[in-house]
Order: sequence, then C-alpha cells, then structure tokens
Amino acid sequence: MVEGKFKSGRFARKHVKVSGGRTVLRFEERTPRQPHCSGCGRVLPGIPRMSGAEAKNSPKTTKRPERPYGGVLCSACMRAKIIEQAQ
Amino acid sequence: MTMFEPGRICIKIAGRDAGRKCVVVEAEKDSMVLVDGETRRRKCNVRHLEPLDQTVSIKAGASHADVITAFKKLGVELRDTKAKKAAARPRRVHKQKTPKEEPAKPVKKAKGEPVKQASPEPAKESPKPHPITAEVTKEPVGETVAAPKEGPAKPEPSAKPTEKPTPKKPVKKAAM
Repeated sequence: MVEGKFKSGRFARKHVKVSGGRTVLRFEERTPRQPHCSGCGRVLPGIPRMSGAEAKNSPKTTKRPERPYGGVLCSACMRAKIIEQAQ
Repeated sequence: MTMFEPGRICIKIAGRDAGRKCVVVEAEKDSMVLVDGETRRRKCNVRHLEPLDQTVSIKAGASHADVITAFKKLGVELRDTKAKKAAARPRRVHKQKTPKEEPAKPVKKAKGEPVKQASPEPAKESPKPHPITAEVTKEPVGETVAAPKEGPAKPEPSAKPTEKPTPKKPVKKAAM
C-alpha cells in the first residue's frame, strides 16, 4: 500500500529494474518545467531546472540572470520594454 | 557625425545596468564609447545603448565629478558609491619564543681607562617549596614505622570505663 503522498501525482512514477531481476515502482520528485519568457514564450536560458532543497540552498545569482526582469523576460523583450518605457 | 558624441544622454539596454541613464563621456575606437552616470563608468558598445534626445554640456573625457554636476542640472541625483574596505580579518597570534638571555658583552673602552667588569648577577633566591609537598616531606618517617612494633595499646585496668546502671522500667501488669 503506497503512502498517501504518492497518490497525489506530485511524484513521478518510474519503473526501475533492480539487481535481483525484479522491476519495482519508484516514486521520484518531478523536475520543474523550463521557465519561459512571459513576453514571447521563448524558453529562458540561464535558469537551472532544480527544485526543493537544491534550489533553496543555491545562491540567488545562479538561479536567474542578474539584469532587470531577469528570469521573467528574455533579453530581447526586456530591451523592447525598457525602450518603450523611456519614450 | 554619429549620435554618440560626448554629452549625449543614453539609456543602457543590456546587462545589469539596463534601464539606467548614462552620458557618453568619450568616443572610443569602432563602436565603443566610455559612459558614466547612473551606470558604472565603463566602456560600452553603442548597440547596448539607446540614445535619448537630451544632451549635457561636458567635455570629452570629463571626470566623474563633472558628470555628477551635469546630471544634477537634469534633476537626476547620482549616488556616489565608494568601494567598501575589506574588514581586517582576525588572525591568530602565535606564541613567540622568548629569546635566550645572552651573556653581557664586555664594553670596549678607550685605552688607558680601567675596564669595568660586569657586575655579577645577584644570587637567585631558592624557589619556595610548594605548600602541599612541603607538608608531605615534613611528616616524620620514624614515628610511623615505630608504631606497629609496639603493638596494639592495651588499656590500663584502672582506666576501665564504669558503666552506669540503667534504671529498670516498671513493668505494667496486664489488666485481667
């Protein structure tokens, strides 16, 4: 009987072949999906896909570009937005 | 004549200084210019700048103080940040070995004068014995050895302790 938390769908189900020859079901934490630009929808580069303790214990500067709208907009959309604000 | 002449106000559109105003201080070779203002004073590619229609009157290669005064006229206050000084790191103080006392060298004197000999050092006082060890050493050894030879001391017959007669308690007779 699996624990209740494994039935919620939060964990990914993976069938792993163990050394005894059996195939067992393992529950693993899902990797978060890649972040996308909120302007154009392009995949944002420079953002690692980590979750949980790994993301919590890593410094802020490694998790997003260090510029305005870093981690939200791609560089092209950011430039367009800044020029739009200046005019 | 390019747009990026000294005194042209621009906005940085790339990097960590993006969105900040700056002024072109000096035109470098090719497409590089020296900028200063809200951004850091540094070389910059003109492709990373968005020129505005504003200009300030500064000379080419103006200092940072001149740029601050020029921006004040525009109504922009610049923060004059200074690099933080690194705090002194606490370091361990190693114990230094005390140098051995060298014997006093005889002082050379001019000829004719009697050579004074170095005064002898005062005799060192003998170290005081430790109070606990001193008590232990003071204990006479002979007495402790002689005691068992005598054997157990017999009490004198005259010194027998006289026992006092205890008064007898009246026995209660049981009631019939």
